[in-house]
Amino acid sequence: MSVNRREFLSVVAAAQGAFVLGFWLPSRAGAQTAPVASWYADPATPEVNAWIVIAPDDTVTIRIAQTELGQGVWTSNAMMVCEELQCDWSKVRPQYASANRDAREKAPAWTLNVMGAGAADPKGGGEPTFGNRDPKGVSGIPDSLYRRMRTNAASSVKDGRYYLQLAGAEARERLLLAAASLWSVPVAELTARNSVITHASSGRTTTYGQVARRAAETPHPHPETIVIKPPDQWTLMGTEQKNLDVPLKVTGQATYGIDVRVPGMKWAAVKACPVYGGDVKRFDFDAIRTQPGVRSAVQFPIPDPALTRGRVFSGGVAVVADTWYQAKAALDRMPIEWEIPPANAAFNSANMREALLAALDRPGQVRADLGDVEAGFTRAAKIVEATYSTPFLPRARMEPGNATVLVGDNRVDIWIGDQSPQETRFSAATITGIPETNVHLHLCHLGGGFGRNGNGPQAEHAIMIANAHRGTPIHLLWTREEDFIGTTYRAMGVARLKAGLDADGWPIALDVRTAMQEGGFGPEASFHVTSRYHVPNYRYSNHTTKFHVPVGTRRGVGQAAHEFYRESFMDELARAAGKDPYRYRRELLARTNLPYKNDMIKALDIAAEMSGWGTPLPRGTARAIGLEERGAEGNGMATISAMVHTVSVSRRGTIKLERVDVAHDTGFGLVNPLSVKKQIEGQITWFYNDAVHQACSIKDGRIAETNFHVFPLSRIDEDPPEINIRFFPTQHWLIGMGHDRATSVQSAIADAIHQITGKRVRDLPFRGHDLSWA
Amino acid sequence: MAFELTVNGTPHRVDADPQTPLLWVIRDHVGLTGTKFSCGIGQCGACTLHVAGRPVRSCSVPASTAVGKPILTIEGLSADGRHPIQLAWTELDAPQCGYCQSGMIMSALALLQKHPAPSDADIDAEVTNACRCSTYHRVRKAIHLAADLMKVKA
Repeated sequence: MSVNRREFLSVVAAAQGAFVLGFWLPSRAGAQTAPVASWYADPATPEVNAWIVIAPDDTVTIRIAQTELGQGVWTSNAMMVCEELQCDWSKVRPQYASANRDAREKAPAWTLNVMGAGAADPKGGGEPTFGNRDPKGVSGIPDSLYRRMRTNAASSVKDGRYYLQLAGAEARERLLLAAASLWSVPVAELTARNSVITHASSGRTTTYGQVARRAAETPHPHPETIVIKPPDQWTLMGTEQKNLDVPLKVTGQATYGIDVRVPGMKWAAVKACPVYGGDVKRFDFDAIRTQPGVRSAVQFPIPDPALTRGRVFSGGVAVVADTWYQAKAALDRMPIEWEIPPANAAFNSANMREALLAALDRPGQVRADLGDVEAGFTRAAKIVEATYSTPFLPRARMEPGNATVLVGDNRVDIWIGDQSPQETRFSAATITGIPETNVHLHLCHLGGGFGRNGNGPQAEHAIMIANAHRGTPIHLLWTREEDFIGTTYRAMGVARLKAGLDADGWPIALDVRTAMQEGGFGPEASFHVTSRYHVPNYRYSNHTTKFHVPVGTRRGVGQAAHEFYRESFMDELARAAGKDPYRYRRELLARTNLPYKNDMIKALDIAAEMSGWGTPLPRGTARAIGLEERGAEGNGMATISAMVHTVSVSRRGTIKLERVDVAHDTGFGLVNPLSVKKQIEGQITWFYNDAVHQACSIKDGRIAETNFHVFPLSRIDEDPPEINIRFFPTQHWLIGMGHDRATSVQSAIADAIHQITGKRVRDLPFRGHDLSWA
Repeated sequence: MAFELTVNGTPHRVDADPQTPLLWVIRDHVGLTGTKFSCGIGQCGACTLHVAGRPVRSCSVPASTAVGKPILTIEGLSADGRHPIQLAWTELDAPQCGYCQSGMIMSALALLQKHPAPSDADIDAEVTNACRCSTYHRVRKAIHLAADLMKVKA
């Protein structure tokens, strides 16, 4: 039978948010036996505080409230706690914090106020992103138990460091108080190191494990007096520590969301309308209902935009079966007709590009206007103008979207790798009507993040489907193709930069216009604050148009595209002026009043020196330099790096990144320099891949490239053979470095291509441009 | 339909359509989840395991093709996580998110079985797995270290 909506309602048990059709009535008993993940099981000893449990054998469990997705947070968060706790690092075991407790308990008062004098105070807590106390954790950090549970904006260390250090210190002081009361000695006579407490004058020792139970019952009399160690006293933080979960990752034992197995679980495969904003017109479940393992089909609506930060995805249909492959195979054979909004289907990459370019010519929102730009152009000896573009880009993390959800009568369990569990908890409560305090979200490792993946509606899909099958756990898994449809995109963008140079080649006027669709993230990067490189007359405006593609916070956000525009244009200006691009940048930074200009100059100097800047290279090979900074236009927290990329282009036009020399600031101190090195190495090839290969185009309103045969991923043969990293200290706290380092690969390859071939490529990716030379 | 697969030396009786891709039989019937799904079209290599000593992208071959042949997955690489490749990966802290690493390690095993002292060009040619975190820099070093460790062991 062909099912339309009316027939549907007559045969179906409708649950909020989804319609289910099938011959299988799930058991409600499952809800009463919802499995409790073993990692929340109460250990023999009660916790000292919400972050720390110490077992009698001295094993220290440290709870991690962010999600491990390769950035090393399981290790760095544990290091920050352990530094103050003074426990034996070899006995530390991370486990995920309970997002359910976070819904039920308030944070200790001592976590709520940042101590110290901000970004430039080494004894303080830096400048966490506080804003308001948004319980979903989106526009501010909640005051619920674990504070910030989001994993985004390279901010886990920036935001969490002071309260994680405090958590370790609070527990250490209570362990000492417990030992002091046990021995009836003044606590001041005790010392703690490596999980051992010593009373020097009597020679007595005990271990944390021996006094942990007593410490759990000993409140801290004055937690507001606890101080944290400044970097010059760190002994564990600042040292290279291997990531604690690597042994699990080399044996196949790490648990990602896709690996979750729950008794009685069924699998769901999904197809959402490939044109955003579209929905299901009809589908024919009868055509597949006798396929092996098939249990039901569920139509679900466009996920409520209030749960996806205003983004409009698509409605779709799921097939539920005993195994995922059965569900997918049946879904592939099920006839589905879509209801597609004609206006959305009219979008194509070419007309979207035209629309963005047209937006540049309309008056935009002027965000910076310094001096008189037009007068500057009139006086200029030379005008340089260039238009750049960057395509839509998905995250394409290796683990496709998935979530396992069990909705009971008054309890929801979710197993998911999620960059924003507090938001997902809210979605679960909203869709099911079950209060957030009864939502048990069990965090799993995530197979790549690259921008809050929960922006895509994997969790909302799974919750809607499971809500239509109350009592039965449903494991939803997107195919790779669905993952391309379900993710949010970095917005397609264009920029036009126009400069007037004086007779010596220095810029005297600069007009920067950028355009992306409404809702695009980081539409101005930091152009609205400063030109970065000195120019006395400066104007920046941003321009928008409306597209239907859901856009979000992909790695590097707006910064990645805007650095391509800004740094490419600096190279073009230097070439137009006949000056060396390194020294040109250096001089223009020196002329600014930017608070961190000396650190930026230092980064350029170190990278240039490391690379042998100016020494001869073989024909077909060139060096190019780029500066990367976030926050350095202000005087708060910042991260600054410079990179020199040595690039070759074969006569046939094949690009090879041969070598990268990196100067990176450490601020007052890095928590785990090993993880920072790994992040830099990885982001070099990430942005190389973006620059050389990656693009998603829009055809008839759809994403045209939805798997890796048409969306190429760089492999090991494209990784640069040589990467040299040198750290240099600066006098501020770092803002983070997990997402916007190595953006300079993009402009540097463009400039190297220009040096070698004479061609200037302004539209990413480089693939598709003829780069051959004779 | 029931058939038998020998995985990591242990026979498993499986009740599944023999045309089901080997990956899904290993994950959902045999119950070993270390081998990962990512693209489903044999492009990325996250699902790499060995059948009869050769690396196979298991998302794209029917389970029936592995009947009667020994299958090796990441879980069977060593009993204690101390295979030279695992030791080298741990020493260099190679994984980031780790999702692709089971497949990457199984490809490295195939490479080292073919080229016990691989050149960089051998690595480029044989280890074609995709890693979005781009851990390639450490993976390359770890392959060379594993080759050294295996030489010492041999």
